[in-house]
Amino acid sequence: MEGEYLYEAGYRGTKKFSQENVRTANATGFGAAADDYAERGIDLNEQLIKNKPATFFFRMKGDAMRDAGIFEGDVLIVDRSLKLANGKIIVAILNGELLVRRFHKNFSSAFLIPENNRYKTINLAEFSDFALWGVVTFTIHQV
Amino acid sequence: MKAIIDCNSFYCSCEILFRPDLMSKPVVVLSNNDGCIISRTDEAKKIGVGMAAPYYQNREVIEKNNVAVFSSNYNLYGDLSMRVMDTLRMSIGKQSVEVYSVDEAFLDLSMIPEDQLYDAAKQIKEITEQWTGIKVSIGVAPTKVLSKVANRLSKKDKQGTNGVMILSTPENIREALEKTEISDLWGVGRQYAAKLKNFGIENSWQLRNMPEEWCRKNLGGVVGLRLIKELKGIPCIPMKNPLQIKKMIATTRMFGKPVHELKDLKEAVATYTSRAAEKIRRQHSAAGLIEVFVVTNGFLNQKYEYNPQAKHTYFILPKATANTNELIEYALPLAEKLFRPNTKYLKAGVVLGALVPDHSIQSNLFATHAQNHLPSLMNAMDNINFSMRDDVVKYAATGMKRNWKMRQELRSKRYTTRWNELFEIQ
Repeated sequence: MEGEYLYEAGYRGTKKFSQENVRTANATGFGAAADDYAERGIDLNEQLIKNKPATFFFRMKGDAMRDAGIFEGDVLIVDRSLKLANGKIIVAILNGELLVRRFHKNFSSAFLIPENNRYKTINLAEFSDFALWGVVTFTIHQV
Repeated sequence: MKAIIDCNSFYCSCEILFRPDLMSKPVVVLSNNDGCIISRTDEAKKIGVGMAAPYYQNREVIEKNNVAVFSSNYNLYGDLSMRVMDTLRMSIGKQSVEVYSVDEAFLDLSMIPEDQLYDAAKQIKEITEQWTGIKVSIGVAPTKVLSKVANRLSKKDKQGTNGVMILSTPENIREALEKTEISDLWGVGRQYAAKLKNFGIENSWQLRNMPEEWCRKNLGGVVGLRLIKELKGIPCIPMKNPLQIKKMIATTRMFGKPVHELKDLKEAVATYTSRAAEKIRRQHSAAGLIEVFVVTNGFLNQKYEYNPQAKHTYFILPKATANTNELIEYALPLAEKLFRPNTKYLKAGVVLGALVPDHSIQSNLFATHAQNHLPSLMNAMDNINFSMRDDVVKYAATGMKRNWKMRQELRSKRYTTRWNELFEIQ
């Protein structure tokens, strides 16, 4: 157990929550019944991060992906370990810049499609340096 | 079989990950205080930017060729290094990875059949590059020393080898060693290289064929013997347990500009003490000894050369401790003792030694009783600083303005460790 913490900071955030930390463990009598049902609380990391070393965060700027529900200031969770697939929202490398768009391909060509009709669809045939940076898996939006 | 995996121009690769426009362009990263070049891409190498050379000496070639220059962003590099190591651990198992430095790891590939080694190495390389975005090269061979040789050759010829080189047959190994100069061998320093050249030994294959007894005598005893055995393909340097508790921890920095005042020097020493104390608490140790050292620019000698001088002093604590406030209390008088007026200080450092596990601190009959609330205070402080970052809670002795802090004028954003510095994407 001790070795596990060796190279970490003193921080014991939600991720290190174990059964020993369950408060009711000290309770006597009736309260103790709850102990049998004690479990780890919900941790957003489990849901949002499937592959930690390959997951990066970005912040959305502008409204190019508005109709997909991605707004200015939202946090994008991007997984680099996922493969490029039709219909995915991706972080692309284009013209030496990073860009978030929906990837779409048909039998003959591929496109980066904005989710806002004020922006132009990008035909990838016109670019030589297109590459995938990562696939957007979730966004975090403040309401 | 052993392998070494090494990130290509690691610091530069980290910068390029978020600046794809710099891919295949000359890029350099500067050391603390923007003094020296500590990482450069192949393209920067090609136009003649020197390694570990002072920035100002290369300024002309850098400006003329439009080289992208970055101050070091250790938060970013540290995070990406951890990602690379985690990826390796996930691909071949925790037990088989030995982190050797921030950008290198030894892998134990003994579980992989020989005929599949190339594919396995290639796959490890591809997964690491895809997941982390950092380009790597791999050398595979029967021993650690030979894997280093393989890795070096794969890096020298990235196109031809695709960054993967396997040395498994005696012929391969011979050819590789003949191509490797003595001074490029892992573990052979400049002095030994010069000595060996005096004996007429130029390449590693010649060294490999020297008698073992001769190496024991002329190459530093067991170390030399081990080197020669490793060159012959007999593993002598085992994989190390990655979880090693350090016996000594130091924090030292160059100042952003020379410090003249005792007040500034004391602030710096207190800051480094807090940082070092945080580090020992992280490995659950307590320090029994504290050493403070300072580096002055010294006197100009006859040739008017830069002639830095280090001075140090230490104190043996009555009782080992990991509490920042106690350590600062011991450190400051040491700084006062070292201080001389009218002197330029370039650098200071704090070393915590005689480390013991914090649950088995020897008590001292003559020392005052331990204050039991302090560990929880330290824990709370580390907690806040770890989650909020940037020394949100600090001791007043460490200074409010910190005008001696190092220069990092060209640092990129800390994209992976700060919420308010995330990459803004359109």
